[in-house]
Amino acid sequence: MTISSDPKQVTQICFDRINIPNQNKLSVARENGAYEFLPTVLNDFDSAKIINEVKTSGIRGRGGAGFPTGLKWSFVPRNTGKPTYLLCNADEGEPGTFKDRDIMRFDPHLLIEGMIMAGFALDVRDAYIYIRGEFLHEANVLNEAIAEAYAANLLGENILGSGYSMNLTVHRGAGAYVCGEETALIESLEGKPGRPRFKPPFPAVEGFYRCPTVVNNVETLATVPAILKFGGEWHASIGIPNNTGCKIFSVSGHVNKPGNYEVPMGTSLKTLIEDYCGGLQHGSVPKVIIPGGSSTPWLTAEHYDTPLTYDDLMKAGSFLGSGAIIVMDETADLVALTRRLAHFYAHESCGQCTPCREGTGWLERVMKRVEGGKGCAGDVTVLKDASEHMAGRTICALAEGAAAPVLSLLKHFPEDVQTRLAESSK
Amino acid sequence: MSADTVRFSEERLAEIAELVKRYPGPQSALMPVLYMAQEDFGYISMDAQKMIAEVLGLRLMQVREVVTFYTMFKEQPTGKYLLEVCTNAGCMLNGAYELADHMCGTLGIRMGETTPDGLFTIAEVECAGACGGAPVVQVNNIYHEKATPASMDALITQVRADGGVE
Amino acid sequence: MTQLFINDQEVDVTPGTSILEACRQNDVDVPYFCYHPELSVAANCRMCLVEVEGWGKPAASCCTPVSEGMKVKTQSETLAKDREMMMEYLLIHHPLDCPVCDQGGSCKLQDYTVEHGASKGRYSEPKRAVINYELGPFVNTCMTRCIHCTRCVRFADEVAGTGDIGVLNRSDHMTIAGIVEGALSSELSGNLPDICPVGALLDKPSHDVSRPWEMTSHSSTCIQCPNGCDISIESRGDQVMRIVPVDGSPEPWICDRGRYVYDAFRSDNRILSPMVRQDGALQSVDWSDAFDRTIDLLKDKKVGILFSSQWSVEGHVAISLMRDALFPDAKVAFDLHRRDMRPFAFEEGLAMTTSQIEAADQVVILGSDLRQRLPLLMQRLRKRGRAGKPVSRIGAMNYRTNMEIGRDALIRPRDWHGVIARAMEQVSELGKTAAGFDAWLGAVSDRHEAGKILADALISDSCALLVGEEIRSHEDAASLIHGVDLLMRACGHAEAGNDGRNLIPEGVNAQVLSAVFADARVSAGDIFAAASAGELDALILIGSDPVGDGLFPSAAKAALQKVPLVQIGSISGEMADYADVQLPAAAYSEIEGTFVNMEGRVRVATNPIKSLGQERPLWKVMMRLIQVMGAEVPVVSLDELRSAVCQHLSALSDAWCVSNQDSALIAPNRNRDAAALPKARTDSFELDVVSRYSMYREGMWARASALLTEAGELNALDDVLVHPDTLAAKGLSAGELVVKSFLGEQCFNIGVREDVTPGVLFIAKRGVAGDLSDVTAASIDGGAV
Ligand SMILES: Cc1cc2nc3c(=O)[nH]c(=O)nc-3n(C[C@H](O)[C@H](O)[C@H](O)COP(=O)(O)O)c2cc1C
Ligand code: SF4
Ligand code: FES
Repeated sequence: MTISSDPKQVTQICFDRINIPNQNKLSVARENGAYEFLPTVLNDFDSAKIINEVKTSGIRGRGGAGFPTGLKWSFVPRNTGKPTYLLCNADEGEPGTFKDRDIMRFDPHLLIEGMIMAGFALDVRDAYIYIRGEFLHEANVLNEAIAEAYAANLLGENILGSGYSMNLTVHRGAGAYVCGEETALIESLEGKPGRPRFKPPFPAVEGFYRCPTVVNNVETLATVPAILKFGGEWHASIGIPNNTGCKIFSVSGHVNKPGNYEVPMGTSLKTLIEDYCGGLQHGSVPKVIIPGGSSTPWLTAEHYDTPLTYDDLMKAGSFLGSGAIIVMDETADLVALTRRLAHFYAHESCGQCTPCREGTGWLERVMKRVEGGKGCAGDVTVLKDASEHMAGRTICALAEGAAAPVLSLLKHFPEDVQTRLAESSK
Repeated sequence: MSADTVRFSEERLAEIAELVKRYPGPQSALMPVLYMAQEDFGYISMDAQKMIAEVLGLRLMQVREVVTFYTMFKEQPTGKYLLEVCTNAGCMLNGAYELADHMCGTLGIRMGETTPDGLFTIAEVECAGACGGAPVVQVNNIYHEKATPASMDALITQVRADGGVE
Repeated sequence: MTQLFINDQEVDVTPGTSILEACRQNDVDVPYFCYHPELSVAANCRMCLVEVEGWGKPAASCCTPVSEGMKVKTQSETLAKDREMMMEYLLIHHPLDCPVCDQGGSCKLQDYTVEHGASKGRYSEPKRAVINYELGPFVNTCMTRCIHCTRCVRFADEVAGTGDIGVLNRSDHMTIAGIVEGALSSELSGNLPDICPVGALLDKPSHDVSRPWEMTSHSSTCIQCPNGCDISIESRGDQVMRIVPVDGSPEPWICDRGRYVYDAFRSDNRILSPMVRQDGALQSVDWSDAFDRTIDLLKDKKVGILFSSQWSVEGHVAISLMRDALFPDAKVAFDLHRRDMRPFAFEEGLAMTTSQIEAADQVVILGSDLRQRLPLLMQRLRKRGRAGKPVSRIGAMNYRTNMEIGRDALIRPRDWHGVIARAMEQVSELGKTAAGFDAWLGAVSDRHEAGKILADALISDSCALLVGEEIRSHEDAASLIHGVDLLMRACGHAEAGNDGRNLIPEGVNAQVLSAVFADARVSAGDIFAAASAGELDALILIGSDPVGDGLFPSAAKAALQKVPLVQIGSISGEMADYADVQLPAAAYSEIEGTFVNMEGRVRVATNPIKSLGQERPLWKVMMRLIQVMGAEVPVVSLDELRSAVCQHLSALSDAWCVSNQDSALIAPNRNRDAAALPKARTDSFELDVVSRYSMYREGMWARASALLTEAGELNALDDVLVHPDTLAAKGLSAGELVVKSFLGEQCFNIGVREDVTPGVLFIAKRGVAGDLSDVTAASIDGGAV
């Protein structure tokens, strides 16, 4: 790794080697430092030390919920007589998110190394990467990388003579956003429809095949090698307290240079959009920014300066989520966009909880009517009631995500809705 | 075709036997096996589902539940080229609907339909996880990013000229 | 205990209880749809929301465990709004067809709409259309009404064990669907309409027939199998309309046999008035004419008495009083499946409750098609299996069970001795032995490997043996049971409190019958033989059909052709062909009476349905018979009769005479010194014959039910089955083949199935291959001519 041991110099962690050609080949990856520190970890570290470093690092899950990773790992009960499983969440389905894909297709060994280290810390024998079905190319790249890793004894029995053994399997999803939710992911990996499980029990205690299970996002796991190599303290000094490290932001929408940008936490939205993404396609100030994937509440121009951290975005009324920033300038048709997102959630609801199953379909149908100029005055209350009583009343957070765009639209742009309603009364 | 004629080859069965070992239980192998069936038979017919249930020792209902839950498993044949246009937020903001309309026009069919020659099926799909390259069109699971009406027309023309041979 | 507060009220519950259960235990009302106390938690309806102090959002109470000091509120303005919205979501696609819905009046959706819903829904888009699916003769579907609570799916998975109902698709296209060929492959399918909280799954036979509020319910006991479930018989006027399980009884479910037999109550097959054969046909007459004819046939005659276990304890004791008064020397038989009448070391009845069986370390099924025989016990075993506890089995066929049987061995009936001997040797090696082992072992030369399964199970701390019909009807049953008894004693499973010796009886009241008739009973076969040999002048059949049921159809036919028949009962059946007189006795829906189930549980039916015709409770018919025959009537009231019952069975004086029904269970008899030693086989036929009990066709009641008959046809196997090797050894193939036995040569349609023991001739469909039931051994010699 070429990352500086001086935290002040660090601007990228997961993407450190992302632009190196053929980095997905083991030989190239090794030349660039992959697996260099692995023997030290396997031979000189123990579980407690690793978990402690990860805790110290302050890293929070990069998949959406932002839960402290070290803490999650420490919840896994030991000596239950059951195996512990490590599942990498590579479902990347949240609209706007496309960061994990780049790690997997350009630097798969970084993820594999992170998984070996995490697996070692958690005493895992079998680990799986659950990758969304559409990422066929990425799955193939991963499979080739894994095959090379097995051949080099980086996976399988007695890894590098350390006595630790781990298997790693890529498992493809098949077109279901909800399978990114960790318990739905577990169900899916068990060969069932991806319907989330209620908690408790939490996966850490009863997950895959009712055994202790850790589910982590690709980016989270890909950060582990750097944390172990440079130390938890090092990572904790990047970014700002409670929001440490770097984060990849997937920026899309009305920006001139959409793409993935890894920056230290705390970089402002405005800096990211203007300095990295080449600014907006039209105008100078965005109309709407969805900061953490389509499921997070919208921000408007007034929050353009917000630092990109879990805490600041929450203060601004939204979430950092998966770090998927969808930017809209004044040309955006927000009613149409909301209808499109409502369609997404209605299509992706697993169907089990009443409010989500029925509410998402209801929202879509009403939004469609409103967009088509056939709305009526009562629709605003219906939209509000139907979304408010979905959120927080279901097994998983999909319903909350479905409510967010509608509630954001009604809150920030009531006039856009009113204009459409006025059209219908004509 | 009946359940007796939809059969995996011996090689496939061997592959499945290996696959099952990678999981704590055989049901986990269901999704990969469904992909195999789709690859081998084009789509996953009811007979194929029965056969898979038998191979993995599952109940037919367990197979049906999974096949119908996931959108990428097809119970009906699709065109030889499946054109999947993402119209979710990132792509929508970058002209995906206009692109989709254009493609429908070129193909002479509506969204969700298959051309009469069985060559193309066009479908609207959810976020492909590549919004940086919006708008995105997947052609048989290969991503075409920053797709334009011109690039899609070229692709369609090319396929037609080649008589559908890849 | 965990202490928490529900609506400011302090309550204590076991740790791990859900909030919803804590509320239910403390009579706090929380609305719910998907929760069901007998099913796993799904937490999908989201109707059971409550507020927990300090939590930002409402919690689903069914899946949230209580915690110490938790403060729960079940009523608030926000909750009221939440519930109103849940109802609105649910009603979005629900049709407003309550006026024509069978569930109307007993529908949770209706009730909650009134209680929690808004008066008007705001959904104005098109409603979803859903296709129905076929679930066979008992269950109707109207899936537009489904609210996706998945109770039915969980029922099919967890209770029925068939998994043939599932969830297809997702989002609001999600549908509940069944994959069913012919009929649900469950013998518990009738419970589906009960658990469906709305009108999506409906009872097919009672579809569009009546409304819930028109029914009067009568609590009773089902006599269709030894499990003797509590049932509620629902009637409109004097017509039985349906039978449903009773809340709060040991089993929350009833089986299809017990439920759908109801159409037999009003079938043409009922005996509703006294009948006498005149000019070759049975004619309705009044009681006195019928009795006159009876006197002619029975007065000062030698008779044989055969009755069934379907009667109440009072009825059975009345039969005994009648015998004592009129025919003190007469032999009686009440079991059509027992050949060996020597006393059994452990008599019929369970030593354990079904809950204890569910909880035992090991369960071994010895020769029983338990799923057909005792569907509810099977359901318990399935539950046990889900909890990871083993069930193993030895028998003549891999009877379908819908559960994973841990260790399974196929044996022929003649192998039982070898199985037991093998087990004895194995446990002896571990120092476990009983006086009598040597004598028993000395009489058996064979050893069968299946004995290892038995011995391995016996080593555990608690082991429940379920001894089934293959052993009970064995010619050498007494010695087999003695052998098993020795094994159980050797391994410490025979003491009170740890007694695992469960012999599955033929019907209810088994413990009572073996006490009341201990000295008088013989094998039904003996009675028929005596009649055929001219030693008897007449037969009295009380609710029994030995041609349609049991192991002696040929012998019964021969006897009935020889001597006159007085038939007393509720159902006429095939006996109508033979009866000279029929006296109508009240059905189990029409009496006050007491029943003892196989566990020894006592149940008293109190509010009978009015008689349909002239039938009278059996005990009254018996007393009238005594009277008209000129003897002294021993009892004149039910109370007096019950005192007589108590004399026979002191256990009942506690359990029932003191009207203390739920007290002690009546234990089955033990005959410690019933030391029968194995007998050598005498016949030379190479195949062992085993006949299958079918819950849809066994018993006069079931055959009188058109519904069960239909289900029986859907579930039918081939007439006679053998293992393919059995035919291959003879160079034969399936089809019409000649079967040779002591009955001579008969032709049967023989099919093959891998799950029958080689060397066994398995009679799957007794009605057709009925005559073969008489034999225990046969051979197949070649194709039909
Ligand atoms: C509807 C829904 C979809 C989700 N999709 C993803 C996803 O695609 N990828 C992901 O890593 N996490 C996703 N999550 C979050 C996961 O449930 C889980 O929090 C995460 O995988 C944990 O990993 P982390 O701690 O490393 O972030 C989703 C959550 C919900 C409720
Ligand atoms: S059919 Fe009835 S029991 Fe089954 S999911 Fe629907 S409402 Fe629930
Ligand atoms: S009863 Fe709790 S969610 Fe249905």
